[in-house]
Amino acid sequence: MSVVIMARFKSIRAPTTASLPNNLHIPSSNPSLIKTFGKLTRQALLDLVFQWLEDSNVRQFPPYLQVDEDAEGDEDGNEEGLLPYPAERTINGVRNAYQELQFRKGGKREVIDRILEGDWRHGITLRQLAMVDLRYMDDHPAGLRWTALELSRINSSPSNDLSACIPRVHASTFLSSLQQQISPLVKAHYHLARSTSLPLTVLRVFVATSPYQLAPRQAVESLTDSARIIYVAFPDSCPFIYTSIASSPTASKASRDTPNSPIATDARSLQRLVRDAIPKALSLPHHRYTLKPTSLTAKSLEALLALRGPGRSNRANGAFSIFADAALEGSPLDPRPSNTVSPDEHVRQSMSILSKKSRDKENTATDERGSSTKNGPPLKRSSTDTKAGGISKRRTLALQSRFGTSGTLSSAPLDRLDVRLLDALPGGATATEQVQQPTISLTFTGTDVIGGVHKLAELGIIDAEKMPSWMTGEEGVSALMVRKGKRVPRADG
Amino acid sequence: MSTPPSVNLDEEAESLDSEISAIRAELRTLQHRRRVLASSLLSSRPLQRLAKSQSPSQTSTTTTTKSWTDLSPLLHSSSLHSNLNHHRIAFSTTAFPFTDPSPTAEAKNLLGLRIDICARDGTYTKPYYILLRKVRRDTADGKGKGKVKGEQQRLLYVHRHTIPAVVDVSALERVYLPRLTGATTGKNTAQNGDGGEIEQDVDEEEEEAQLKPWKRKVLNGSRKQDLKAFVREVRRQLVVWHLRCDAVRYLRERLGVVRRGEQGAGGLGYGDEEDGVWERDVLVEGNQETRIARNELGIVSLGATALEAVYVRVEWEDGRVGRFKISNAGLVERAVVMGDSGRDKLMEGVMTGGRVETLLDRLMNSRKYASEPKHPAASPSEVASRTVSEV
Repeated sequence: MSVVIMARFKSIRAPTTASLPNNLHIPSSNPSLIKTFGKLTRQALLDLVFQWLEDSNVRQFPPYLQVDEDAEGDEDGNEEGLLPYPAERTINGVRNAYQELQFRKGGKREVIDRILEGDWRHGITLRQLAMVDLRYMDDHPAGLRWTALELSRINSSPSNDLSACIPRVHASTFLSSLQQQISPLVKAHYHLARSTSLPLTVLRVFVATSPYQLAPRQAVESLTDSARIIYVAFPDSCPFIYTSIASSPTASKASRDTPNSPIATDARSLQRLVRDAIPKALSLPHHRYTLKPTSLTAKSLEALLALRGPGRSNRANGAFSIFADAALEGSPLDPRPSNTVSPDEHVRQSMSILSKKSRDKENTATDERGSSTKNGPPLKRSSTDTKAGGISKRRTLALQSRFGTSGTLSSAPLDRLDVRLLDALPGGATATEQVQQPTISLTFTGTDVIGGVHKLAELGIIDAEKMPSWMTGEEGVSALMVRKGKRVPRADG
Repeated sequence: MSTPPSVNLDEEAESLDSEISAIRAELRTLQHRRRVLASSLLSSRPLQRLAKSQSPSQTSTTTTTKSWTDLSPLLHSSSLHSNLNHHRIAFSTTAFPFTDPSPTAEAKNLLGLRIDICARDGTYTKPYYILLRKVRRDTADGKGKGKVKGEQQRLLYVHRHTIPAVVDVSALERVYLPRLTGATTGKNTAQNGDGGEIEQDVDEEEEEAQLKPWKRKVLNGSRKQDLKAFVREVRRQLVVWHLRCDAVRYLRERLGVVRRGEQGAGGLGYGDEEDGVWERDVLVEGNQETRIARNELGIVSLGATALEAVYVRVEWEDGRVGRFKISNAGLVERAVVMGDSGRDKLMEGVMTGGRVETLLDRLMNSRKYASEPKHPAASPSEVASRTVSEV
């Protein structure tokens, strides 16, 4: 009788405010798990397994042990022989098995198989999945595109409080209030972790579609959908947060396919939900925050940290990076006149960077020579070459004054720079013409756009003295509108 | 002799390479030292005094002065430099001109401010810079308001700065260098309509002022830009921040800091199995993990919670966790200590009230005071255990 009632209970799905539990299991047979695990290297996988098997963690990620089997009966014992990975009897046994894998060389596939078909055959928990994803992010810092958003106080009367508003993220408090914000609308799984390589705390939010309890059938597909994962990174001690954006075109297409659903449950609107909840979760009574865009999107977290981080270079880039790096003058105790000291020495990274720089110089020199011999009429080339030799001093000076130390000592690689030029075309622009004034959009892409501009200026393709300042990365943004060479704030209309 | 010659050669080459690089490093440090010594010699007081006494006394004979200047442009420049340094040390905030290299910049000449802050160990931190640009604004437009002043206003805008986010420069700028003076808002909208020049940074304040004109009146209240107060406040906040950081570092150093992977980590009383409390110090750059050495106060970890170093988190061996706030004056303003059985009010009382630097002394005293009458037997055994751990 009671069994029947239990079964009926399970079929009823009630909306709850609880988050998705950490120990919700995804069946190991799910093929997408292999894909997720396959992103990691063998060593990373092993590291993760050892982490799961640590004394303090093993209770949350219990491996499949022989002892569980005995309780159920002998029948499974027979089955055991057929399975490729016989269950170990103790946790130490599991550890030893992975230690063995650690010492042996081989592919990562055998580790994945061992995890999914052997020791965690009863399923991978959401938390384990989150740890896999975060480990991947640590190993591949440029794997996602990040957008920097600024947290700013609402209604802060300026005269009262002059101290900087840096929201403090207290992990558990923040998560519980974030959950309060999100839970009426959707269910989510949260995982907060510290980045191992950068001064960041990363929140991974997995959003399910509805506030209802998950049906076990539904779980299989939806729990591994990477479009439902949102990352939010909190850099230490600065009023910015970074969020990942999902690949927008596919997500929006998916939403268009199902126009009938009353609530937008596509990945994009779910992400917006979470993003809107974050400033509210960080707010305190009389201390409310809102998020403001900062028009900076980049793949590299280092670039975001340099341009919207806790350091000195937020508002001093391009030509002004000499100030951010303090490469202009030394400390007041330095008896050497500052013009006799090279900027590198000021930054005190003398050795490695000096050598690197000289190597770079050699490279470019050989490149130029190579190109001159290869193509073009030799006479013309040589004349330009000699000219270049004469100019180069001036050019390097111009380069130094325009780019400062960016590109050489410090770098914030932007992978994309969108520029809209609002200038009218040269020639008399009357009032009537202004209506159909064309706007030119430029998009630069590459591993390091500003570095590329620097290189072009070094080769003399771009005139370093005449180019507008946004080309030097001075604005520290990845999307901007320009009029007369100056950045124009984003127009509302 | 028995080893094959190729290995020998490789080894030899390797040793030679390392020797060469060592010698090069040595050379570099020696050159560095020579340069420092030479320039400090040049800027030394006796030499400078000699130069000064020489030049005015024999102004009549042009040859000698010429020889001095000819002979010593270095002397001259180093005297200038040392003067500059004296200013920087004495006044801490110095101004300098800077030319914006951008060809499209409206205001080419920028006013630079440099703030030097001395740290606890006598070294100076990287100087902080603020670059201001001057913007001329006509208030005589008369579009926005009826009042016509008929004169140009020179406003200072913060153009670039290297102040970390710990100090909110834009908020300070809004207070001390307000841009809303006179009829600017009305003019701003007119400019937007023209599509002509638009201010580079339309602040949210200006937007807000446009949306809420009743607020603007209060803000406007004929407040003028006050550069001195602005700089004073920025510097004050920077200094206070550095003092707080120094205080936290001092506390950590007094307790003793062990770096992960360093020799002797095990000798300080932590076995390998106790490998749990390694933490990353927020105030130290890089991801080096550290921990507090074993101490008689039983503090396992102590560190600032964020780069601001306003709140400091303390953790004790017995599981108590505390957090205290450092005020701008350097006092422990508030403290909360939580144990398994609720708050430890006694400890909170001991911690609050005094200066941060004397926190450990206070804890020590209270501990002595508490342990003496209650458990007289506890202390010797503790001492014994400590000596054992030290051995």
